[in-house]
Amino acid sequence: MMSRISGNQTGKETNSFRKEWKFSEILAERGVRERWEKVRKYFFLRESTYDMSNRCNIRCEGCYYYEGDKQFAAENKNPDSWRRLMQAEKARGITYVVLAGAEPSLAPDLCRICFKEFPLGSIATNGLKAIPADINFKIHISVWGNDDTSARVRSAKNMLIRQIENYRGDPRAVFVYTFTSNNIDQVHEVAAILAEHGCKLTFNVFSAPVGYRGDLRHTPETLGETRKAMMDLLTAYPGNVLFSPYNAVAHTHRKGLHDLYGCSYPRRNASTDIGLGRSFRQYRTDLNWDRAAACCVPDTDCDDCRHYAAGSAVVTARMFRHAGDPQTFKSWLDYVDTYLSVWVMDYHKGANLSDRMAAPPENEIF
Amino acid sequence: MPMKTNIEEIILHVARVMIDELKLEDITPEGFDPDIDLVDEIGIDSMDLATVALVLRDHYAIRIEEDDYPKLTNVRLIAEYIEQKLSEKSVAAAN
Ligand code: SF4
Ligand code: SF4
Repeated sequence: MMSRISGNQTGKETNSFRKEWKFSEILAERGVRERWEKVRKYFFLRESTYDMSNRCNIRCEGCYYYEGDKQFAAENKNPDSWRRLMQAEKARGITYVVLAGAEPSLAPDLCRICFKEFPLGSIATNGLKAIPADINFKIHISVWGNDDTSARVRSAKNMLIRQIENYRGDPRAVFVYTFTSNNIDQVHEVAAILAEHGCKLTFNVFSAPVGYRGDLRHTPETLGETRKAMMDLLTAYPGNVLFSPYNAVAHTHRKGLHDLYGCSYPRRNASTDIGLGRSFRQYRTDLNWDRAAACCVPDTDCDDCRHYAAGSAVVTARMFRHAGDPQTFKSWLDYVDTYLSVWVMDYHKGANLSDRMAAPPENEIF
Repeated sequence: MPMKTNIEEIILHVARVMIDELKLEDITPEGFDPDIDLVDEIGIDSMDLATVALVLRDHYAIRIEEDDYPKLTNVRLIAEYIEQKLSEKSVAAAN
């Protein structure tokens, strides 16, 4: 089919004709069908997230946990209550749990209960206290810059080396480097250290909490620099960096994730129709949840949301609109392949299908 | 390209795509209850629906809008949606 269209990949008006691709034609391309079959086996994943503790052993500037009222929820430390919650979650169709914060490593017994009920999940931690090896979830260790920066912004000394000591050689571990507006250059030093120790690394982009007034927030210029650093590291450390060119586009775009893709978490999506808006919940430490506040990064400013966890749900859910042409669909497959390798134990990332950046559907590349 | 647009034919085809794409076991297109709720009773999610929608888009050469997904909660509703799109297409072609 050929059709006259009013937009091209950069979203600009054009009078040119563009091929309208059938899905079967896109899948016919070498490698694409195989990757599609590989990732679609995981379409059964349905996540919810849980605050395991309202305590943290450090205090970071810009921490979204200590914004809003979730920090004031009382901790329910009763193992039976948690077991019952997990069983109820399973019964309503949840297949994947994200254990978050404040700091889940301070509540290892509760994390273990979650793991016993759910074989698939992940834990977001600052990495200063090792999570016991029998809790076989993916472990995301937050890195906010080099050690000087961590000492300043997170008030923690020798942070990276302590994190590496806890998780070197651990197949659960993925180090998550959060780009703020003022730690972009430091990523090269951090990535070199992590690569030297054989650690896996992925990227996050600082997304300001509601009302945040500090200087970590990105500008269009720092987003551009962040994108360049991501692309450079993708080339420099292909065996260590879990990322793709399309991840770089989606997370450093001048528009946030909601504007680009339409966030489907309950907090931005009032409907309970099919999808994330229907199934996702974010439980506080008192085991309550609030639909109006429920997303994986509550109290983040939605207009500035470029968070890696948010993208893992928001971008992947938009398969249909990425199936317009082969380049865009390959980029989406790379994104999903990246997301699965970061979040699912024993899922191994393949080589990216596309080594160039594609524009998000109906948008420009910036 | 299918030429028959009879609603019963479309229902059968949608059921067949559903069964093939989502690997639903122990059910035939003829035995697929077109009024069963796909979300609550079959357990399909938005990614499943997107997959089915892409295959149906190819087959019928029609646009299926993402915003319309919430309306497509059973096979009959999907078939009626396709029938509607096909008739809009033939009206547009005639004009
Ligand atoms: S380690 Fe995480 S939870 Fe703790 S203060 Fe820092 S950002 Fe917040
Ligand atoms: S903060 Fe991000 S993930 Fe959360 S509701 Fe807003 S746009 Fe969605």
